[in-house]
Amino acid sequence: MHGGHEGEMDCTRFEALLSEALDGTLSGRTLAGFQAHAAACPDCGPMLVAVRAGMSWLKALPEAEPPRNLVRNILIATSGAEVARPATSASPWRDRLREWTQPLAPVFSAISHPRFALSLGMAFFSVTVLLNAAGLHLTSLRTADLRPSAIQENLARTYNETTARAVKYYENIRLVYEIESRVQEIRNATREEDRQEQRKKEPEKPRDRKYRDDNTSGRPDQKQERYSRRDEPVVLAGSSLDSAANPMCNRRDA
Amino acid sequence: MEDTQAVAALVERCLGGDAAAWEEIVRQYHRRIYSVSYRFAGSAEDAEDLTQEVFIKMYRTLKSYDVSKGAFITWVTTIARNLLVDHFRRSKHDRMTDSLESAPSGDQDALTLGEQLPDLGPSPDAGVQTQETQRAVHHALQRLSPELREAVILRDLQDMEYREIAQVLRVPEGTVKSRINRGRAELARHLSRTYKQVS
Repeated sequence: MHGGHEGEMDCTRFEALLSEALDGTLSGRTLAGFQAHAAACPDCGPMLVAVRAGMSWLKALPEAEPPRNLVRNILIATSGAEVARPATSASPWRDRLREWTQPLAPVFSAISHPRFALSLGMAFFSVTVLLNAAGLHLTSLRTADLRPSAIQENLARTYNETTARAVKYYENIRLVYEIESRVQEIRNATREEDRQEQRKKEPEKPRDRKYRDDNTSGRPDQKQERYSRRDEPVVLAGSSLDSAANPMCNRRDA
Repeated sequence: MEDTQAVAALVERCLGGDAAAWEEIVRQYHRRIYSVSYRFAGSAEDAEDLTQEVFIKMYRTLKSYDVSKGAFITWVTTIARNLLVDHFRRSKHDRMTDSLESAPSGDQDALTLGEQLPDLGPSPDAGVQTQETQRAVHHALQRLSPELREAVILRDLQDMEYREIAQVLRVPEGTVKSRINRGRAELARHLSRTYKQVS
């Protein structure tokens, strides 16, 4: 440790004054003693350099930019209120409504959570389906409909109507299938009779002959055969049937 | 510096159920709380969550704020600091941090601090301009122990007085100054190592 001489600064004192020195609040003899110690001490001099460098790095760091919706999220999470807008704050009835709902803000804050909102939506959907099944329509709901006897009656009626509809549908389908099957039977019977009558009229040809007639692969094409025939008289294009008017025809005939 | 009377009136209005007053408080302090949280926790997501936690706690305990006991910002920063320490303990990010007192290992034994520091790389004034350098400083800050980190954040990033920091951290002013200086020096040492590795 340096600074053992009288009037000189020691390392402990130097370290204690380090912050003030960097803040620029030292002056006079204290500042001179501080600077002299920094120049002479092999530990405190580099320490001063390091601390000053670290401070410069930190001071140059910019302030972190918060997310854009942070204020809104904080307000929703705390007071449950949306960010106030000038247009809305001008209307007194909305202010009054906000005052009334202020105590319920934490409840609304919890409800506004997406997961809770989804569960609530599903529950509402289920209730609506049940009410429809029970024959209760919210638009035409009366106090009398909420009596247990009325609910029971509605349920029974809905059940009976649904059952009747299902039975009717089943019966209709059954009738159609029956008619179709009858028609099919009649058609089959008619075809069978026709076939029998046809067999009686035409005796059955031998199978090998029929095959021979059907098989034309080994024979020349009839069209080509017809083109090569010479026993028919040649008819020239553009010639008239009147042989007197055509000398070429006359010569051949002669 | 905050206007003590204006803030006291704002708090009073807020306690009376004035939603606009609370919104004003949130708008006035959210940036500062977020910045402290981001520099301490290291990630933007954690900082956002922590900032919300701070304001939720503020909202619930606003009645306990006593104007005569200190500035509102000190009270807010104390809440933030306590939550940050809790978060640090929860997240178990307790990393090995070497301080000035701990003996450097290996070849660094032969080097004094003075010999290491001239190789700091880019000068602080010029270098922090770039985003890469800012990121390096931010990462170096995360490598400090929580005690040193919170001290330098409050002093060098939030410009708080030693007395206020001592009040927030509940330690004597001398300890605050010592932690700040050690934190600064350690940060410079981490950065000098980083730039040595790069070059």
